[in-house]
Amino acid sequence: MANRLIILLVAAVLPVALRAQTADFQASVDRNPVGVGDQFTLTFTLSNAGMGGGKNMQLPDLSKFHIMSGPNQSTSMQIVNGAVSSSVTYGYILQPKEIGKFTIGPCSIDVDGKTLRSGPIAVEVVKGSARPKPQASGADDMSAQIGDNLFLRATVDRTHVVQGEQVNLVFRLYTRLSINNYAVDKNPTMTGFWGEDVETPKNIALTNETINGKQYRVGIIKRVALFPTQAGQLEIGPMEVQTTVQVQDRRSADPFDSFFRDPFGRAVNYVVKSDPIKIKVDPLPSEAPAEFKGAVGQFAMSTVVDKKTTRTNEPINLKVTVSGTGNIKLIESPAVELPTDFEQYTPKVTDNIDRAGDKISGSKTFEYLLIPRYPGLKIIKPVSFSFYDPARREYIKLHSPQIELNVEQGTAPVPPLITGGSQEDVRVLSQDIRFIKLSGTALAPQGSYLHMSALFAVMMFLPLAGVGAALVYARQRQAVMVDQAGYRNRRAIKIARKGLKQAEYLLHEKGASGTPANNQRLRFYGEVSKALWKYLGDKLAIPQAAFSVEGAVTELGARAVPGELIGALKSLLETCDMARFAPTSLEISVMARTYDEAQRIIVSLERILK
Amino acid sequence: MTAFRCLVALLILIPASASFGQTPEQLFREANQLYQQGKVPDARDLYEKILSSGYSSGELYYNLGNAYYKTGSLARAILNYERAMRLIGGDEDVRHNLQLANMMTTDRIEPIPKLFVWDYWQVCKDAFSLRSATLLAYLFYVLVAGAVALFLLARTYALRKVALLSGGGALVAFCFCALLFASKLTDATRTDEAVLMAQIATVKNSPDPKSSDAFVLHGGSKVQLIDHLGSWSKIRLADGKVGWVEAASLEVI
Repeated sequence: MANRLIILLVAAVLPVALRAQTADFQASVDRNPVGVGDQFTLTFTLSNAGMGGGKNMQLPDLSKFHIMSGPNQSTSMQIVNGAVSSSVTYGYILQPKEIGKFTIGPCSIDVDGKTLRSGPIAVEVVKGSARPKPQASGADDMSAQIGDNLFLRATVDRTHVVQGEQVNLVFRLYTRLSINNYAVDKNPTMTGFWGEDVETPKNIALTNETINGKQYRVGIIKRVALFPTQAGQLEIGPMEVQTTVQVQDRRSADPFDSFFRDPFGRAVNYVVKSDPIKIKVDPLPSEAPAEFKGAVGQFAMSTVVDKKTTRTNEPINLKVTVSGTGNIKLIESPAVELPTDFEQYTPKVTDNIDRAGDKISGSKTFEYLLIPRYPGLKIIKPVSFSFYDPARREYIKLHSPQIELNVEQGTAPVPPLITGGSQEDVRVLSQDIRFIKLSGTALAPQGSYLHMSALFAVMMFLPLAGVGAALVYARQRQAVMVDQAGYRNRRAIKIARKGLKQAEYLLHEKGASGTPANNQRLRFYGEVSKALWKYLGDKLAIPQAAFSVEGAVTELGARAVPGELIGALKSLLETCDMARFAPTSLEISVMARTYDEAQRIIVSLERILK
Repeated sequence: MTAFRCLVALLILIPASASFGQTPEQLFREANQLYQQGKVPDARDLYEKILSSGYSSGELYYNLGNAYYKTGSLARAILNYERAMRLIGGDEDVRHNLQLANMMTTDRIEPIPKLFVWDYWQVCKDAFSLRSATLLAYLFYVLVAGAVALFLLARTYALRKVALLSGGGALVAFCFCALLFASKLTDATRTDEAVLMAQIATVKNSPDPKSSDAFVLHGGSKVQLIDHLGSWSKIRLADGKVGWVEAASLEVI
């Protein structure tokens, strides 16, 4: 554009140049006043400088401006009616630094040894942007002409809603021109909304509406039902519609020009744009029930089971239908609590949304496929669904009736393990400490131990004392026993002599026949035997009952008694034993010899055993 | 009739006088009642009062631990559960609560695994209280003494044999129980274990506040005291980490 302006400027300067045909140096700005943030072009034009051109250009003070670019030099040459004119332009794109009136001082340049100066330029810098809307030069009037007569307007039925509540957004095209056709160029941005396009008739029904005294034909070109999915200040962006408008070109008065023009005007492409709309969305009340999953509107729920009686492993269809008006598409499947031995699959969801009416309505169906694995009466707990009713400003809970299913044993065998592989631990509902102890061992003074008590010390001593007592008793008993043996030992010879004396008496006592009677002889041998045995028993400290010839022999052998003596004792004892069984064969002389032998043995033994 | 009246009067007077000079058992029951009524802080104070009067029992420490747990003092709860373990280590509730309280602490300390024999020994130790170990050891001591006496007094060989065999068995059992008793007694009287009472303590590499930090320990962690120096204690964790910490932040079990 700047270039074009330069050309225009050059064209404006040209007649002067033609007239003077002398070098000329001028400064110009493309805009005045300018906004603080705007850029403008400062152009120095050197005309007819000849082939040498300008040298040593001295820029004025531009400290009040940012030099965005430059110098942008361009050269042009024109031959008009044989006269050659040339110009060189130096363009600077500047941006003002601050508000105020500034004068750009003269700029100097040397041309053919002469110094040319441009005139000063006063630039007024104003606040904001003074830049007019960029308009194509040719389309300026056209746009203005169309603008008033064709526009797009977006309206909403409400600007303050709660989250999830429906907002109807309508785009209407107002026109006083004839529109050949239109196409939506850019759909509005609807961040934070779920938008559901509402069906509009194919043929736009035009209505008439008067605005500011002008009558417009109005057509609805788009309707959207909006459901805010988040709270806060939300904005619906502008929609752009490309229109083709038939316009009469009234500007051109050139008959030659108008000859080529369409007598009905010409088709112009024109973009209409709606204004953005702000909608305030309040969050839903916080006291939402547990089942609430974002449904807002007015709904009803129904549950249907395809059969109440089934067999194991035969699927059942549980259909939960939520119908009504509101953000149906955003409804999530309500949780179905099943007995544990049911197999459940993710529900199949079908929407049926009616977009024709003012409000989005319809139904959403959740089909649950349930497979009972075990027979019995199974109860499916009521399905609950909750939604927020913006009209009543409260949450509403819906419950289906409880479903009872009678599952019979099917032909397929019952799987052996119901939770096969996925056995769970007993679920701990909460981890808490166990309750206090209400009773227990008696409280005792701290640091008191059983083994430290005096009683315990006494008790410790008692068994020791018992053992000690037992030891003393055993010792004494031993002593007594040892003593007894000594006594018997000492007394043995005395007793033996007594026994032998008795035997001697029996030997010498004469019976009626002059010889001892048979029983007398028997008694004699008995006395001798008794005396011997008793002597041995006492001497060897062995009770008589546990005594035998062999025992006595070994015992005597152990006490170093000579073998000859033992042999004599043995034979004497045998003689006594024999005589007791056959007394008649015994003569007095034998008896006397036996007596002597017994006496001799005892005396000899007494000498050895002591 | 007058005797009956006296009895009635006594029965009325006893509870009244009890509020002045209560026995520790009565205080214990009263504290339990407070706990049951939900007045846990009051119950806790009463339990502490019993302790400060010089009486203790495993159950008292356990209940006090519960009261501390309920009032949010985890470290104190652990301390008291540990003390209860010393007295009634075999009790399953004490063990459970201690385990739960330990799970609530910030630091998870993995104990160094010990030889399995120690586990068996620990099970034996936990199965008996110090008191029962004392009594058991005493019982076998008496049996050994009895067997010795029988051996001394027996007149027949068979009886002596019985005495010798039973005496030998009793001696083995006595040795085991005596070992158990000694071990329990060491546990009960040891003062080398402590619980960290401070919320958080920085354990240093040497007993000096300017020393480098070894690790950070949080309240409720059980430590073993292995050395003392000034106001510092050298501690060892169950996982073997060693460092120095201010003794004031610890409380001996």
